[in-house]
Amino acid sequence: MADERDDARETRASLPLSIPSGDQTVWADASPLIAAACNDLQDGELVHGENFSLFAAMSALEIMDPKMDAGIESNGYRSVDEAIENGTAPLPLSSDSTVDVQCVIDIMDHLLACEATWHKGHSLAQTVFSCIYLLKIERTSAHVLLHSYCRIIRATCNAVISTVSDARTHEEEDLFTMAYGLPLKGEGDDKCLSILNSVEETISRQLRACKALNYKKKVLEDIDPLQANPDLEDGYCRALLCRIRFRKHFYHVLMCMRKSQGRGLELARKHIALCLSELSSIAKSQEFLRSNVCVSHQDDVEEGTTASGCQPVGFDASLNSRYSAPTPPRAIQILSWKRAIEYFEKLLHDLDIICSFSLEPMLEDVLHFVVQFQESQPDLVARAHLQLLLVQDGKLYGRDFFYDVISKAIALPSFARDPEFQKNEFVVQLIQLVVNLLKILCTNAAWQRRKLGKILQDWSLFSIQLELALKREFGDMLKALVDENVCLKVSKHLLTWAEEQTYWIAARFLMLGFKLELYSPNEYCMVYWYLYIILMRLLDKMQVRLSNRGDSRKKGKKKRDVSKDLTRDMIVSSPSCLLLKCYLSLSEGLAMMLAALHNESKVFEMPNVFNNEQERFIQHFELLQKAHVPDQISYFLFKESTKHALIPIIIKHNYFREAQRVSTSLKGSFSSDPQRMQELRQIEQVAEHNKIALNVINKVGTRDPSLIVSFEFTHHPVFAVAVVKRS
Amino acid sequence: MEKREDGGGAEAAVFSPAEIEYVNYGGEHHLPLIMGLVDDELSEPYSIFTYRYFVYLWPNLSFLAFHKGKCVGTVVCKMGEHRNTFRGYIAMLVVIKPYRGRGIATELVTRSIQVMMESGCDEVTLEAEVTNKGALALYGRLGFIRSKRLFRYYLNGVDAFRLKLLFPRPDPLLSINSNESHNHSDHPQDVYSELHHNVQ
Repeated sequence: MADERDDARETRASLPLSIPSGDQTVWADASPLIAAACNDLQDGELVHGENFSLFAAMSALEIMDPKMDAGIESNGYRSVDEAIENGTAPLPLSSDSTVDVQCVIDIMDHLLACEATWHKGHSLAQTVFSCIYLLKIERTSAHVLLHSYCRIIRATCNAVISTVSDARTHEEEDLFTMAYGLPLKGEGDDKCLSILNSVEETISRQLRACKALNYKKKVLEDIDPLQANPDLEDGYCRALLCRIRFRKHFYHVLMCMRKSQGRGLELARKHIALCLSELSSIAKSQEFLRSNVCVSHQDDVEEGTTASGCQPVGFDASLNSRYSAPTPPRAIQILSWKRAIEYFEKLLHDLDIICSFSLEPMLEDVLHFVVQFQESQPDLVARAHLQLLLVQDGKLYGRDFFYDVISKAIALPSFARDPEFQKNEFVVQLIQLVVNLLKILCTNAAWQRRKLGKILQDWSLFSIQLELALKREFGDMLKALVDENVCLKVSKHLLTWAEEQTYWIAARFLMLGFKLELYSPNEYCMVYWYLYIILMRLLDKMQVRLSNRGDSRKKGKKKRDVSKDLTRDMIVSSPSCLLLKCYLSLSEGLAMMLAALHNESKVFEMPNVFNNEQERFIQHFELLQKAHVPDQISYFLFKESTKHALIPIIIKHNYFREAQRVSTSLKGSFSSDPQRMQELRQIEQVAEHNKIALNVINKVGTRDPSLIVSFEFTHHPVFAVAVVKRS
Repeated sequence: MEKREDGGGAEAAVFSPAEIEYVNYGGEHHLPLIMGLVDDELSEPYSIFTYRYFVYLWPNLSFLAFHKGKCVGTVVCKMGEHRNTFRGYIAMLVVIKPYRGRGIATELVTRSIQVMMESGCDEVTLEAEVTNKGALALYGRLGFIRSKRLFRYYLNGVDAFRLKLLFPRPDPLLSINSNESHNHSDHPQDVYSELHHNVQ
């Protein structure tokens, strides 16, 4: 490897003198021996050893292969110092103070683009730390403006890295937090805000002085202008101020969000608003900045990494490429300045959503919130913040013990809050399961689905064990506290709740498959069918839980006259149950529609070169089946329940009209929640389109060879809409 | 990326499918041919040792397609125990552009899968870029499912799908009632799995 080559070169020069050779050994020049050995080997040959297999040989990297050798010398500089010596990162940037300011702004813009690119999953070394000024921050100390900006960038990088590594989502952050060899920690970064504040103050004064001058007013204070050209003073002062203020507020946002128990969230929101306003000023500064540079130097507006369109001074991504060894170099395209601003706007909006969520929510609401939050595909930094806030010191938002959160969710009677009860192994286990679930829900969709599939086993095992122990241990333990019947009831509540969560996880697992495009159209039928089965069980458990709660409330209030029917009505009409019913009808409707199309016209026929539909069923639902979620579900049951599906029968069943009806009835309950209202509209759209499609298909007849039916996710990410065409 | 149909475009070669000759990996003289094709068509970097690992240990799973003496496509695979499963793995599949869209890739990979099945594999896996529609369609037609999505799997930052083909079990009753898994679908990324497929 190139690193070793360099090491070898240095070794010959210095190591024998500085490192003792040890007992009975001496340093000797092995170059001739190695050269002889090399001459004996042809290209592509390896020296074999007992513990060196063909498999191990695969890890070899070929030196000087541009695809593999991260340390290859690509006519670039060999060190930061060499780059600096050759004038790559001059200081001051120009003897002309106007050009100097222009260049600093370009650097700031390019750094923003680099930062966004880093957040989007590239290495720090190839992005932010491609900045030579940042690599040798102490050099910049005389240039206060640049120095203060570099310091806040470094401090911000540190803050972001610590958030992502604390969250330990074990997903893409390996590359994200990799900072080996980079000068990331430096003394004095804790003062970065005060340095930045004083720079901001100076420029504000320069702006004020310039304004006064423009109005022919007498300058109140004696202050040197930012740069030499009075016509440009106002524009450059403003362009710098919004960039500096953005950094300041962004740093505050990150700090506030890390305050314990969500104490800083309110303040964070204020800084987020200020950040967004500065970002919009930054975007607006483009016109001014572009008007002051020579057009021939400008890159394409859409692709450039700076507002001015000029190439920034002082960046060289190849300088750090060796830090990425031993992995091969990654192709990297720095985001454009425009895309970078968009990225930060999205990040700030995502963080704002996190900050605005209630700090004392019910667990059900937290789960819904996280799922909803993930809909907009937030990037790693926002997800890491959410996770750290949700699970802090083993407490929800660092405030409520998960035991209390769970007992609130299950509506456990107050005696169950006894500390002894909380030490029960099942309770401890359940808390662990919930914490783990919350963390997983904060990860990216691909990773999340894999992990959800895995933890289904844990949840299912928990339920089985709890069921077995229901009468035994749990009863014994609580006997002393209350009568056995109540104990039994509490355990049953726990069990119902755990089972409900298990089905919830399973439903999310299946639904995420659509978002990740894991299903092909000829598999939709089985997936909707399975989803329908899962949602049925989920609804069932949810109703049992709500009726349990109803019972305990009834007793609490001693309203024994309330009839059981009334309670049942309340449960059936609860918004969560009704929404679930919408999904249920859509899943069943789609499964049956797809089955009917298959039965009548053999569309969506499965390929059968090496295997059949059954193998695909086994593979797609393997993790669910393994966890017995639910029990007794097999491929044959699927075939049995879909083989008689025919279009006229599906129309008669009115699955889609049912979804519409329920969704309409829900509007009143969700009127204050725009996201849920949007969901209802989507459900209605899916139902309406499929209803029409079914009628068209029925009218044309599935045997008509000109009929082409495809399924699209134009109205909902999970529930497809049939598109009917005639060829 | 271009679509498979591009194979029928201006630069498409004129040939009859019967003119394509498929041969098993036959020795070191085939290695430069395989390397030449893969190096040109795939973005991931492989050293000669990567190729050797596959073709030396599983020569029976690697095939080359020739047209009038010219190598126009190749498939490189392996198989082995993986978490209590005997699993086949398709490492590389390439057909050069003028010959695409004519079923050569399907024929190559079918031959490999056939050998894997006869050798007692329970399943076959591979990874493909989510954007590689041609490869995804090809494997879909052969019965592969997309078992998971791998976030930013390739060096170029693109996600991958892990594709899986499960062979039917000999005893149908066993596969109907069995709830126990015969394979574990969540495993760390293999050393060799940064390989991919270009057949579009």
